[in-house]
Amino acid sequence: MQVVKLSLKKANKIPIEADNVNPDNFAGKTKEEIEAILVWYGNGQCPLGDLFNVEVEGSDSVENTKIVIEGDVSRVKRIGQDMSAGEIEINGNVDMHCGSNMRGGKITINGDADSWLGCEMKGGEITLNGNAAYYVGSGYRGESCGMRGGKITVNGDVKDYLGEHMCGGEILVKGNAGLLPAISNNGGTITIEGSATMPASEMKSGTVIIKGETSDLLPSYKEDGTEEVDGITYRKFVGDVNAGGKGVLLIK
Amino acid sequence: MSEILIKNASVCDPAQGINCEAMDLCIRDGKIVESVSENAKVIDAGGRLAMAGGFDGHTHSAGKINVGRFINPNDARKNLVPGLSGQVARTEKTRAQVGYNTPNTYAIGYRYAKLGYTTICEAAIPLLAARHTHEEFKEIPILDKMGLSLFGSNWQVMEYIRDKEPEKLAAYIAWGLKASRGYGVKIVNPGGGEAWGWGKNVSGLYDPVPNFDVTPAEILMGLAEANERLQLPHSVHVHCNNLGKPGNYATTIETMKMFEKVKPSRDRQSLHVTHVQFNAYAGTSWRDFETGAPMVSDYVNGADHLTFDLGQVIFGPAVTMTADGPVEYANSRMLHEKWSNQDVELEDASGVVPLFYSPKSFVNAVQWAIGLELALLVKDPWKVMFTTDSPNGGSFVNYPEAFTYLMSAKKREQVISGFSQMALDRMVLPGIDRELDFYELAVMTRSTQSKIYSMPEKGNLKVGSDADIAIYDLIPGQVDPSAEHEKVKKAFSGTAYTLKDGEIVVKDGEIEATPKGRVYWVNAKVPETVDTAMQKDIDFKFKKYYTVSKSNYMVEDAYLTKPVEIDTEGVF
Repeated sequence: MQVVKLSLKKANKIPIEADNVNPDNFAGKTKEEIEAILVWYGNGQCPLGDLFNVEVEGSDSVENTKIVIEGDVSRVKRIGQDMSAGEIEINGNVDMHCGSNMRGGKITINGDADSWLGCEMKGGEITLNGNAAYYVGSGYRGESCGMRGGKITVNGDVKDYLGEHMCGGEILVKGNAGLLPAISNNGGTITIEGSATMPASEMKSGTVIIKGETSDLLPSYKEDGTEEVDGITYRKFVGDVNAGGKGVLLIK
Repeated sequence: MSEILIKNASVCDPAQGINCEAMDLCIRDGKIVESVSENAKVIDAGGRLAMAGGFDGHTHSAGKINVGRFINPNDARKNLVPGLSGQVARTEKTRAQVGYNTPNTYAIGYRYAKLGYTTICEAAIPLLAARHTHEEFKEIPILDKMGLSLFGSNWQVMEYIRDKEPEKLAAYIAWGLKASRGYGVKIVNPGGGEAWGWGKNVSGLYDPVPNFDVTPAEILMGLAEANERLQLPHSVHVHCNNLGKPGNYATTIETMKMFEKVKPSRDRQSLHVTHVQFNAYAGTSWRDFETGAPMVSDYVNGADHLTFDLGQVIFGPAVTMTADGPVEYANSRMLHEKWSNQDVELEDASGVVPLFYSPKSFVNAVQWAIGLELALLVKDPWKVMFTTDSPNGGSFVNYPEAFTYLMSAKKREQVISGFSQMALDRMVLPGIDRELDFYELAVMTRSTQSKIYSMPEKGNLKVGSDADIAIYDLIPGQVDPSAEHEKVKKAFSGTAYTLKDGEIVVKDGEIEATPKGRVYWVNAKVPETVDTAMQKDIDFKFKKYYTVSKSNYMVEDAYLTKPVEIDTEGVF
């Protein structure tokens, strides 16, 4: 087991793009090697060691590498981008694009996450013990496919456009969702335990379950009996008719 | 006075009939000269292949491409051709670059230069949007630029043709070229752009345009007559009716035949047909779709009044952008894709749709084959201009890949081996074993362009021509393009040297300098009496219909960087 502990030397105002901070890049490396990894800081690159205190215990393969980030990193973007295995634990708030394009492994965030959490994720697991901002598990601007696999669990609230363009995988939100969750999705499952507004517009396929209150249900859905999931009976709607969709929307 | 001596180059210059001969090239003050003094800076080419700078005669690189940029923000991060696409941070010499099919303006300049190209012709400038095109030209470094102005569905044009006023029509074309600072007459789906304003299209050459009582055939003949009357350097540049429809090869040949009677006023073709790949389809529907290239190339082989370009397809993502509005509507519905649609007031329509060419789709595979069949079945390379109609058939950064298709039957076999039997049954490419040599490739990428645009100072290495030169890391005679296609592709992907006006702009595949290029436009002289009469008609149009005034419509000189005005004398 290799454990790498990172903490910011001092809080940064200019954002850091930490797309190199993932177990794939850290596994088997010494403290010095990890400190030398380049990250973008504003419009220039600098070594990770200039910005972070780095501690390394042991040395192991990617699967057995764990990165622990202590403290607030709410101006550090793209942590865990492209990671394929291993584990990241963040004990603080985190900036945008955390876990983007993730293919495997596990990220746990004990704090809040900014927008684009797990966007275009293909595998692995993200657990957020806090609230998330916009576009959780969605696709980058202009793409037709967002999240394709893996699981995101949010133990708080999320803002608008949850799972936009989602094509596969699973999202579970224990709190409330904002406007237009599951917009334009084409596969996958989204469960919202709290409330949601205007869910699943332009959905082509996939399943959306809303356990709380649904506001402004779109008129482009056809009611189609009821369906029982885990012992709870929901009203079943099929659509979005506007997109010729066959998605399933289950609400109370 | 700056002098350069390129020693020991293997020069391939079809304009002079030079086929990979060991020669020295002398440059003084941006021009090719007979000899230079001994103070000249020496570049040792080491026997490598040298050609005139490449000339892309039909590309969408300024203007409408911007719509492609904003409906495809995801294109910014596509990196399918490393080194020539994707996100590249700025350096001391270059600005930041993004994109693949719709790169930013700087990337367009750098990447063409890396391929050894030094001149491009933007294929469609709507008069009304010409200012925007020139604003983009201004920000495309290194390259010399020019553009073709759209006239094919213009109200004033159709009225003059209906009312049989050829002199006023010629005066309007001259004014339109001046207003848009354009180089030639582009006709896109004649009449179709106007019909699209009513949600319709024209179905062929003799289908009247709604409310104008003229047919596409009359528009083509009228504009060709005006084009020759003004003695413009380029012939009419035609995107035929029925583009992208199975069975359209018949319309294409019919259009070509119609121009047999047009007498060119200069030493060039009387018709250029563009991206013929999209217009050489046989069959009656997408089910029995097959190649029409043999019929089209048969006709072209027997005719000597026309030239054409390919519109070769490259597998992968592309972005279609055209003034042919109804085609883009059909594309977006068929492919369930994003769609941008524009109405250019009294002038034309326009649309943009991204798409993906897959070798697994039999239609796409046949489209890919048709472009190559046209290039290989037409015997005379001087009739052919190599293009992908970038980015309609694919981005220009794939030219090196496409060159290997033309130069190597083995490479083609490799690609064809992935096709379905159904696709193979619908094409004739597997039976063609012709392989182009460097000489023929130079004709299709440089010499034809120089000739058809009447630009004697471009696309050749004659004494007096612009010193735009590409040196590729290939030694003719020591490389077999048929077998070593990977090597050829690599060499064409980044020149050893690209010189623009005698300045080294690319060295070993990296940008060395980014001078500003010129903008060419044509000023055709028209008698004052005819011009005054015509101005009255367009003043009425501006008062009654246009959303802008005439004074705000003209492109002023302030919009042009290093403008080059080419004067012609109209015959009235």
